[in-house]
Amino acid sequence: MSYDIFLGCVIPARLPFLEASARKVFEKLGIGLNDVEGFSCCPDPTGIEQIDHKSWLALGARNLSLSSNGGIVSFCSGCVETLKGVNFALNKDSVLNSEINSILGKIGKEYHGQTEVKHFAQILYENLDKIKENVRKPLEGFKVAVHYGCHYLRPSEVISWDDPFSPVTLDEIISALGAESVEYDLKLECCGNPVDKADNELSLLMIDNKLNAIQESGANCVVLVCPACYQQFDFNQRELNKKNETSYEIPIFYLSELIALAFGFKPEELGFKFHRVKPYPLLENLGFNS
Amino acid sequence: MSVINFDFRNEVLKHNASLSYCYQCSTCSGGCPVALMTNGFYNPRKIIELSILGLQDKLIDDQDPNVWLCSTCQKCVELCPQKVELTEIFTLIKNICFEKGKVPNSFIAQGQAVFNNGIAIPYSNAILTRRKKLNLPEIKTAPIDDIQKILRGTDFEKNLSKGGSES
Repeated sequence: MSYDIFLGCVIPARLPFLEASARKVFEKLGIGLNDVEGFSCCPDPTGIEQIDHKSWLALGARNLSLSSNGGIVSFCSGCVETLKGVNFALNKDSVLNSEINSILGKIGKEYHGQTEVKHFAQILYENLDKIKENVRKPLEGFKVAVHYGCHYLRPSEVISWDDPFSPVTLDEIISALGAESVEYDLKLECCGNPVDKADNELSLLMIDNKLNAIQESGANCVVLVCPACYQQFDFNQRELNKKNETSYEIPIFYLSELIALAFGFKPEELGFKFHRVKPYPLLENLGFNS
Repeated sequence: MSVINFDFRNEVLKHNASLSYCYQCSTCSGGCPVALMTNGFYNPRKIIELSILGLQDKLIDDQDPNVWLCSTCQKCVELCPQKVELTEIFTLIKNICFEKGKVPNSFIAQGQAVFNNGIAIPYSNAILTRRKKLNLPEIKTAPIDDIQKILRGTDFEKNLSKGGSES
């Protein structure tokens, strides 16, 4: 089993340590990842689509046309939203489909509509039994606030995966690793990252509220599956602490990092030094020393 | 005084007929995380109302309420009892703003990066070194000529040149 890997922009060009952890997990599970030449920005559903829907469709359709394998996986919820959204729109509307194909014709490409797109967490959930078999060091003591993020779930008509308001997939993966998923207020709310482009203060207010709810829940870390959410959660804690009288120090993990830890990878193999909020005190407390 | 712009209303309706299903129940605003944070100052129901009324001057020219504050979280779309495609309608309104150069600068900067590089975040030397240290493969991104041909096939380049505004 293998998938064409669609990396997008944020993970490979800003957070490559997240990519490294995800590749390790897929390798361990025996799921192949093919690197494909020539992908562009997906493009960003919270950016490029918002200024020009047609360009978003055309660039997205070009990306989909490059996969000959029949299946794409992405480590980014935004890329998944775009690629699934473009598939959805072009399969629904034949007039739009021919218009986009005539644009692609100028570069000798054709949108064929045969490429299935999956979020990496979906593939991991589909391999939950294999994940359980590979757990070498259960994540005992990890009290995890699961942040699903918006585009992993919605619009449900397009994403067609998990429940848009009562999701379970990430919680079940976390439990399978031996960690505890902690309930908290605002669990399904947006992290605020997309609002930053128009209003930085409002965006900070949104993440402040979520972090506050997480702190009150007794969780000792957050897990998430989207690089935009990752940046919003990890990059802003110090800024909020400086600005307000908060004292956030909540480690933020990518799903693949927690799975890798449970598979027995050492912390120093996983690029935690690139996190703004260092998870080392938590890891040492819980016996995950280097 | 606001003036009804029938062309604007028809343009929105032509692209998304679900606009006419709205009966203003405000379920969308009740579930909106941005409405929650702004005490209802940002209000998806209001944006739909102004679209139905065709008040382009408020939505596009004055941006009051400001449609750019939508986080695209899609909660309103899931919650709407009338299946109004709110996020898609807001996207359309923002697209019209782009045609008129009424866009926050950050969106223009991202658009320019994609037009120039094919990707939103160009690879810095520091990141390329870090990728090597992490044993990650070299990435061959899209031929830029192809990307620019596509973005000239739409109005992207033309509208990009109109620039943006301070948010």
